[in-house]
Amino acid sequence: MALENWLEKIRERAKSALSKPALYGLDVDISEYLKPVSGESKLDTERVSEVGVDLSAKAYYTQVDQAYFRYLSKIPGVEVKRIEEFIEENPDEAREYVWKLIDPAMDKYTAIATLKGLGGYFVRVKENTRIEDPIMTCLFMSIGGLQAPHNIAIIEKGADVTIYTGCTIAPESFGLHVGITEYYVEDEATLRYIMVHSWNRVSHVRPRTAVWIKPGGKYISYYVSIGRVKTLQTYPVIYLEKNAYTYTASILLGLENSILDVGGLAYLLGEGSAAEIISRSLGKDFSRITTRARIVGKSGKGHIDCRGLLLSENSVIETIPELLAETPNVILTHEASIGKIAEDEINYLISRGFTREEAVGIIIRGFISLDIKGIPERVKKHIETIERITAEKAL
Amino acid sequence: MVISPKHIFYEVSAVKLVVEIVLKVRDLSVAISGRVIIRNNNVFVERNSVVFLLGPNGSGKSTFLKAIIGYPGVEVISGNIVFEGEDITGKPMEYRVSKGLTLAHQTPPKLTGVRMRQLLEALCKKTGCDPIEIASVLEIKHLLDREFGKGFSGGELKRAEIAMLLAQKPKLPLIDEPDSGVDVDSIEIIASAIKKLISETPYKSTIIVTHSAQISKYIKPTLTCIMVSGEIKFCGGPELLSEVFIHGFRELVRENKREG
Repeated sequence: MALENWLEKIRERAKSALSKPALYGLDVDISEYLKPVSGESKLDTERVSEVGVDLSAKAYYTQVDQAYFRYLSKIPGVEVKRIEEFIEENPDEAREYVWKLIDPAMDKYTAIATLKGLGGYFVRVKENTRIEDPIMTCLFMSIGGLQAPHNIAIIEKGADVTIYTGCTIAPESFGLHVGITEYYVEDEATLRYIMVHSWNRVSHVRPRTAVWIKPGGKYISYYVSIGRVKTLQTYPVIYLEKNAYTYTASILLGLENSILDVGGLAYLLGEGSAAEIISRSLGKDFSRITTRARIVGKSGKGHIDCRGLLLSENSVIETIPELLAETPNVILTHEASIGKIAEDEINYLISRGFTREEAVGIIIRGFISLDIKGIPERVKKHIETIERITAEKAL
Repeated sequence: MVISPKHIFYEVSAVKLVVEIVLKVRDLSVAISGRVIIRNNNVFVERNSVVFLLGPNGSGKSTFLKAIIGYPGVEVISGNIVFEGEDITGKPMEYRVSKGLTLAHQTPPKLTGVRMRQLLEALCKKTGCDPIEIASVLEIKHLLDREFGKGFSGGELKRAEIAMLLAQKPKLPLIDEPDSGVDVDSIEIIASAIKKLISETPYKSTIIVTHSAQISKYIKPTLTCIMVSGEIKFCGGPELLSEVFIHGFRELVRENKREG
């Protein structure tokens, strides 16, 4: 009964925001996505492998639309289940984690996710469990409509893990994807989160993400959008306690008429906390990319590094770094640059024996290649593959 | 067709002539952004020849090399460039490089995010070489995982550049200022790598541009040419080098003019 009451309160709160636009990004008419969609939900393994998801992983979660779910964990210390199961089995605990970092009434997208969303993963990595192979999660949209999973991960004290998420959609399916993600990184734990998005030219994407990092915890996020998308807007929020660290990288490829608005907000709450927010935008065709980054600090260090490369005459890139120091005990810096590929770099590589196309490929690959510290070899391989695919698609 | 002994003689001679003179630069004048930088220059590079092009800073030496390789923005306004018997004057750089020409840059650009290892491996994949072996020759193994050119010292940058050329396996390397801004130890390493590079080319020839001629301590030219104010004033044997050291470029040119 208590559980029902709690859920009802959340739903009521969400209803009040059904017509509330998001702070950023193009406003989408969500009524289209409230209607039922017919068709059979099927997993397209080929498209899924394009976003790097390995379905033979020892721990995985797969969801197609709002209807098909498969998940398991063969790794000791790693629990993977559907969010609904977690809530039903552990209602008291769920209240501590579900809709705690994200307000269901934040905007119309969180509202629709609260009221209509289904599925999403619950991952718990037990204390001091350290695993190199990523936990694979895949969110695939086959018939379109709404997909709004709610994902929770709790990385307990001293654990060290990577979650890899690939999100994609069947070509030409009209879809609205609102993934709600709340991550909890406990004391001295490390969570690496790799997310690859490859949508289609008619899809709208509004992920809502928040992360809480307890003392000494680390959260490293590597986000890539490599497909066409009609509009994409996301603005993850990260809270850092004492000596907590975060590094978030967003690699954004703007294709055709895509409109991308990707940001990040870090709150440096505790002494010795540190945040780096990095973005690399590649503007092709008629795409528009906005990167926002904001660090609000009470203590510690923060740095923003946003770079954009315009690969077409008609693409637009905008970058908005913001720093807010609330006490003198914080050091905040930012750097930003937007430009096109330097001709002398292309010419140099041509003089070395590369074709013009090869030269441009090498430069783009270099532009998106980031020196992320402390990445295990196996995870590095995934990132290298993503870099290669991104550079190929940018050509 | 009956082939007479005489016919064979002429055919062989023609082939010999083409191959012996690897590169012919005739009456070359070049402009950059509409401004004439070099005028009416002639240089022939034969097989087994190390040509030094000397001259003060800003005399047009680098432009001369860039014109030979066909660098965009360097416009040939008269004259022609013939490599292996083919007139390449109007051909793009990509074509000239594919034919075996290459240029070691005076200052290569920094390539953000591009690791030295990645470039060497990509070149070695094309030409069949061992990146580690090349890095060992130039003593730059410690730079392999660094971004190309970023934070390299003057000497490291030149060593990295010559490493690229070794991996590229050109037929005729054009080397711009291998000794400027380089410490003594690096010069020795660079010089020995250039010797190796020349020895691995089919023609065993090169053009080296230098204004300080420090590299001459290790590599002896077979032909030395002096360029001042966009013109090759004269060429001579290795003895010209010591005269340059004694008199300097401009004095030497004046004396040469007086002597007619």
